[in-house]
Amino acid sequence: MTRFHLTLRLALAPVLASGALLLGACNTDDCCSNPTPETVDSAVISTFVDQVVVPTYQDLATRLATLDAAARALQADPSEARLETAKNAWFAARAPWEESEAFLFGPVDSYGFDPALDSWPVNRTDLDAVLASGDALTPEYVRNLQETQKGFHTVEYLLFGEGGAKKASEFNARQFEYLTAITAEMKSISSSLSDAWTKGYDGRPPYRDTLANAGQSGNTAYPSTQAAAQEMVGGIINILDEVANGKIADPYDAKDPNLVESQFAYNSLSDFSNNLDSVRHAYRGFANSVTTAQHSLRTVVGTDSALDKRIIAELDAAQDALARVPEPFRDSISNPASADEIEAAQAAIRKLQATFESEVLPLVTR
Amino acid sequence: MRRPLMLGALLLWTTGCGEEAPGAPSEPPRAGGATTIDDRTSLAFAQPAPNLLPEDQERHRLGDAAFEAVFVPGPAPINPGLGPTYNNTSCNGCHLRNGRGMPVMGSGPQRTQLLVRVSLPDGTPDHPNGAVPVPGFGFQVQDQANYGVQPEAAVALAWVETQGHYADGTAYSLRAPRVSISPRDGSTLPERLLTSLRLPPPVFGLGLLEAVDVSTLRALADPDDRNGDGVSGRLNEVWDVAARALAPGRFGWKANSPHLAQQSAEAYVNDMGVTNPLFPEPDGTHEISRDTLDAAVFYAQSLGVPARTALDDAEVRRGEGLFKTLGCEQCHREMLETGTHAVTELEHQRIHPYTDLLLHDLGPALADGRPDGAASGAEWRTPALWGLGLTQTVLPYAAFLHDGRARTLEEAILWHGGEAETSREGFRVRSAVDRAALVAFLRSL
Repeated sequence: MTRFHLTLRLALAPVLASGALLLGACNTDDCCSNPTPETVDSAVISTFVDQVVVPTYQDLATRLATLDAAARALQADPSEARLETAKNAWFAARAPWEESEAFLFGPVDSYGFDPALDSWPVNRTDLDAVLASGDALTPEYVRNLQETQKGFHTVEYLLFGEGGAKKASEFNARQFEYLTAITAEMKSISSSLSDAWTKGYDGRPPYRDTLANAGQSGNTAYPSTQAAAQEMVGGIINILDEVANGKIADPYDAKDPNLVESQFAYNSLSDFSNNLDSVRHAYRGFANSVTTAQHSLRTVVGTDSALDKRIIAELDAAQDALARVPEPFRDSISNPASADEIEAAQAAIRKLQATFESEVLPLVTR
Repeated sequence: MRRPLMLGALLLWTTGCGEEAPGAPSEPPRAGGATTIDDRTSLAFAQPAPNLLPEDQERHRLGDAAFEAVFVPGPAPINPGLGPTYNNTSCNGCHLRNGRGMPVMGSGPQRTQLLVRVSLPDGTPDHPNGAVPVPGFGFQVQDQANYGVQPEAAVALAWVETQGHYADGTAYSLRAPRVSISPRDGSTLPERLLTSLRLPPPVFGLGLLEAVDVSTLRALADPDDRNGDGVSGRLNEVWDVAARALAPGRFGWKANSPHLAQQSAEAYVNDMGVTNPLFPEPDGTHEISRDTLDAAVFYAQSLGVPARTALDDAEVRRGEGLFKTLGCEQCHREMLETGTHAVTELEHQRIHPYTDLLLHDLGPALADGRPDGAASGAEWRTPALWGLGLTQTVLPYAAFLHDGRARTLEEAILWHGGEAETSREGFRVRSAVDRAALVAFLRSL
């Protein structure tokens, strides 16, 4: 569920504050007319692209291929074991998607891959109508279906059912046909998304180059490495805001389980946790490896500096606070006994967001 | 806690450090006045104005939710009301990150961002200055539909390239769109069908443009070119649905909407098939509430405007000089002042939108031949240029001009004709270095 309702107004304050400090020190000749920007090493950007973005999308493509295979295996032999395998494949594919949400810019947005994979709510009216029809579910037919009848949450609805208690015996042949038609399309879309970064899509050059070559002449998207680094930090701030003030706040404030992400699979808290991992990856400069990246936002901050230690501690604290929210989230939002834990998780995430806004963004904005 | 700090910073910025480089503006232009934000990322068009009062920050947040809400066919627990025919399923579906759209139409995840307006050349309009609806279509081709409903038509888009040369011999290629509309019911199109393609324009800054007093625009207008500069400029006169009267138009590519409430309500009903208080069902009911419509309108009104960048860059400064020398600024007015508005944060701001909000004849190459309100088939409203340099940061493959025909800023300039022909030729005959400087200036906006 993509949202951009970030309050960068809060992010803006420290930037201007740093400008005030700069102007406040106005006793040197060149202070205002020609400030020398501190450049961000281009390796920070290319490492982020090659060690975080691209592997995350490749992981997503691999896992959606696995989900499609598991759905087909279930169709061939609708056993409880195979349903369990398919559900686990859905959970597994969900992880890299949520881990990509700190960088929801570029092809995932431009080409509509995000709504194709992650639209909400599920359009049950038309879904039921197509299931009841005899329409042939060709790839072209599926391409024409609305995004709200496809993607993660429609697959989730079909696999898990209301309350997450669906049994293999409850599927009919038409549901399997529909399920596999849309898992096939998700597999195809995730492959296009990965290719859009590495090989190019729709006749356009790889987006990897657009971001990694920030600051090179002719780059109309990112005229400087600082601009690309601001994009990275902006993406981090955006997802933290989204989790605390959208994904958690919207259903919690309204006490409405219909507003909860991944409500059929009871996967909401895992989604949020994977969003925090997305931040961790973007900050540290690697998604899967255990070796430390030589160039990352972390090295811009200063590895093992006081600020770096604070960021890591606040990330850990936010994860811990989320882990204390009782499952399932769709029930916890209405349970007064869970209110303290939910609000503590929001507070911990907002604290981390404020740190990125007030301490990290200025480092790449000067 | 934070706002006083921010205002303090702005104050220092505008008054501090008297030693300016020669030729520097005496006051750094803040694109949107107090609504200006410093953000050059892909989220630059999607931030709230920094001067919003606390209660308006909350309204903005609600508006953001309305703007991104994906509609589904009813009945449904949330967001029912889509269709039966439509072009896209949410505001965000076309206004990706609130920026210029991509010239795409049809199936697949992008759906239709580039839509086709239609009307007939003769007949009786529903109201003064109204277009004449096309049977089976109305005023817009809705090429998507809910299950079991036939879309109005399939629309195919093709591009026709033409070659040209700068005066220095450098070649360029311009593309123009060709659409073909095939009604899904097999019927034939009227022989003299007027069509016009429309690309989603940026969403931010619209509240400020709404807050410019109409007397300011009237003062800029010169409908009969009395000053003989070859540039006229006039206000559109369009139907105000709520007031049931003609009113000055200022929103949309042809300034065919009088205010943001009507424009947003038109988008709900025409682009998504969602009835609303201004455009209800025949029985007077509607699928979204007044609150939802108001929230979406407030969202557009209360977005921040990104500040210019590279103010000290020598090439940018030279390009800015050329922009004025070539006469671009005659229509793309750098500065306007806002008057009163229901949203107090928008009032009395000195803004730098680079538009006069007036209609100008841009010549036959750009003409759509489809009158809209009092606008002729060759007239377009000067689009604002603020944030222009962020267009392809916000959406990498976004395009320019009303139908997205221009892939680059150079192409957009080269399409200008009519009242802008002299300026266009001025650009075409300049050296590559000068042309690059002008584009560098535009990218700094």
